[in-house]
Amino acid sequence: MSVASPRLPAVIALVGALLGLIFATTSTVDYAAHLDRRLHEVHCSVIPGAPAKPEAEAEGCRAAMYSPYSAVLKEQFWGGLPVSLPAQGAFAFFAGFAVFLLLAGPRASKTALIFMAATGTTPLLVSLVMFLISVIQLGTICETCMGIYLASLLVAGGGLLGLRALRRSPTDQSEHPTGEPLLALLWLATLALVTLAPVAVYAASMPDHRPYLRGCGKLSKPQARPGLLLSLGGSRPAKAALIVADPLCATCKGVHQRLVQERVLDRLAAEVLLFPLDSECNWMLEQPLHPGACVVSRALLCAGDQTRKMLDWAYDEQEYLVQAGKTGVTALREVIRRRWGDAVAACVDDKKTDLRLKEHLHFAVDNSLPVSTPQIYLGGQRLCDEDTDLGLRFALKELAPEVLR
Amino acid sequence: MSSAPQLLGPAEARAMQDSSNKVAVLVAGLAGAAAGLVALVVMLLSVRLSVTNAARRLEQPESQTSKVAIADHAEASYCTPRFKEVLRRVLHSCGLADTGTRRGCQPTDVKTFASISDEDFNQLFAPLKERGGVIMFDSGKSDLDQDAKKLLEERWLDRRGARYFFVVARGSRTGTQARNRQLSHERANSVLFFLKELSRDDPDLDKKVGMLWLGKEYAQLSADYCTWPVSRPGKKCDQEAINRSAFVSWVDCRL
Repeated sequence: MSVASPRLPAVIALVGALLGLIFATTSTVDYAAHLDRRLHEVHCSVIPGAPAKPEAEAEGCRAAMYSPYSAVLKEQFWGGLPVSLPAQGAFAFFAGFAVFLLLAGPRASKTALIFMAATGTTPLLVSLVMFLISVIQLGTICETCMGIYLASLLVAGGGLLGLRALRRSPTDQSEHPTGEPLLALLWLATLALVTLAPVAVYAASMPDHRPYLRGCGKLSKPQARPGLLLSLGGSRPAKAALIVADPLCATCKGVHQRLVQERVLDRLAAEVLLFPLDSECNWMLEQPLHPGACVVSRALLCAGDQTRKMLDWAYDEQEYLVQAGKTGVTALREVIRRRWGDAVAACVDDKKTDLRLKEHLHFAVDNSLPVSTPQIYLGGQRLCDEDTDLGLRFALKELAPEVLR
Repeated sequence: MSSAPQLLGPAEARAMQDSSNKVAVLVAGLAGAAAGLVALVVMLLSVRLSVTNAARRLEQPESQTSKVAIADHAEASYCTPRFKEVLRRVLHSCGLADTGTRRGCQPTDVKTFASISDEDFNQLFAPLKERGGVIMFDSGKSDLDQDAKKLLEERWLDRRGARYFFVVARGSRTGTQARNRQLSHERANSVLFFLKELSRDDPDLDKKVGMLWLGKEYAQLSADYCTWPVSRPGKKCDQEAINRSAFVSWVDCRL
């Protein structure tokens, strides 16, 4: 097969479409599995059919999955409708169309080849946008998504190479038939229909999550003494919220960043209850889960009007702080002193600061809170852990719609 | 048949070729549509199956759910059932736990509510030697000196996971029973007032501090208690001096 033959481009497009279909389906299946509100391993590989990976090895794919860009209509459907669904439909269409071009060979009409070239680039354009979002916004690339990007490249490449067959070689007397332009409209309609079909099936099959949203408890004594909790001071607060957090807990960081990305944090009159999972100050633990979390928590209590800034810093530098915490409290204190100055360092060692931290822990006791972080309470109602990632916007729409306005 | 092409003119041959092409394109189109349809159906089934399986799991609670611990106060090893029983009785009877109107317990009350001998009562507090402190007073006085305030603040700030702070004030054997009752009451109050100063913004202070004043008639301390952390270390300490005091300590027990 020469490059000028429409068959080779069709084969390329077919391979791309099938690969795209596999990767997009894998992505959808992983996403849909989480509709049961449990944790699951996710597939995260550029090798089609590779086994699912545990959480630690699939950070990129999980970050993409939990990001605001993984799905649409998240307020209407729990978790939203994953963007991999229309991709599945489109790849199925292009697989069929590539089979058609492959079998039709030189008999394929110009209209068909132009249609394939024009529409075949759309997955690539979408992939480019998603790739840029991954790099710029998320700072990570999901491997399964990378598979989809490569598949899109093949489909687009196949489509564009097919156009070369339209150029007649001097020895080739045959000419591609012009074809019926109306057919292009029919194909376009079919493409639209097939692209939307999986979206419709997914939406129609979804379970109702509303009965599960309010079953995770409430604050029994929500009133803390004035000044005890740390205020994050949202710019347009619409709802009171309590965030139970440990500055060295990775999940807390994830939830915090999600609230920022979803533009929710600014709409909350959020207060932080510090709950370091470190036995140095937290008597509820026998061993430190996050060594050094008590020291960083005390620093936050000393931050004054820089609380939000320091919390962002603690999350941004979390890996470094965790390492410093493992080295020892002295190293961690030094890191804090260097970044926040002698006054904060002295305050960290003040017994009154420790007492205040203990008051945070006692607030947790008074409210019989679970020994876990993070926890989010909206006006006293606990947001279930399962609703802090995929289902965040849906849960907010149900529990605190004013936050999304 | 072999001579058939010779019978066709160029136009007819072209028409036949066109017709054959159309059939081939139609077959290709049908094959493409069938392939696309198969891919679509398989994909739609996988979508439907994934979602409905998740929905089914959602309705069935997990069989092995790991229980998350609930935040609670500290529970130290000295919190024996006997110790907790006495403390509970005293707390309830002295008004603290129920946040009633009554504030503190008089010696006779303690004797009645604790239902325990003097010696056993003191023995219960023995494990608190390092956790607590003995605030000492001048004879016939109830005001806190600087050292007393220092030790009291130190002990108060070292709350950890404790729920209750106990103040057990006493009077020495010198003087009348009534005078010593009054003195020990005033000493307990001095401690409470200072704690209020320390925690001006804590509206729940009253719910944390349990007060007992024992006068001279119940649970007198022996001179051995002079070796405990006292507010006047290095100064003369005997049985008289050690009982002109208020023992203070957080108690790490879930009552």
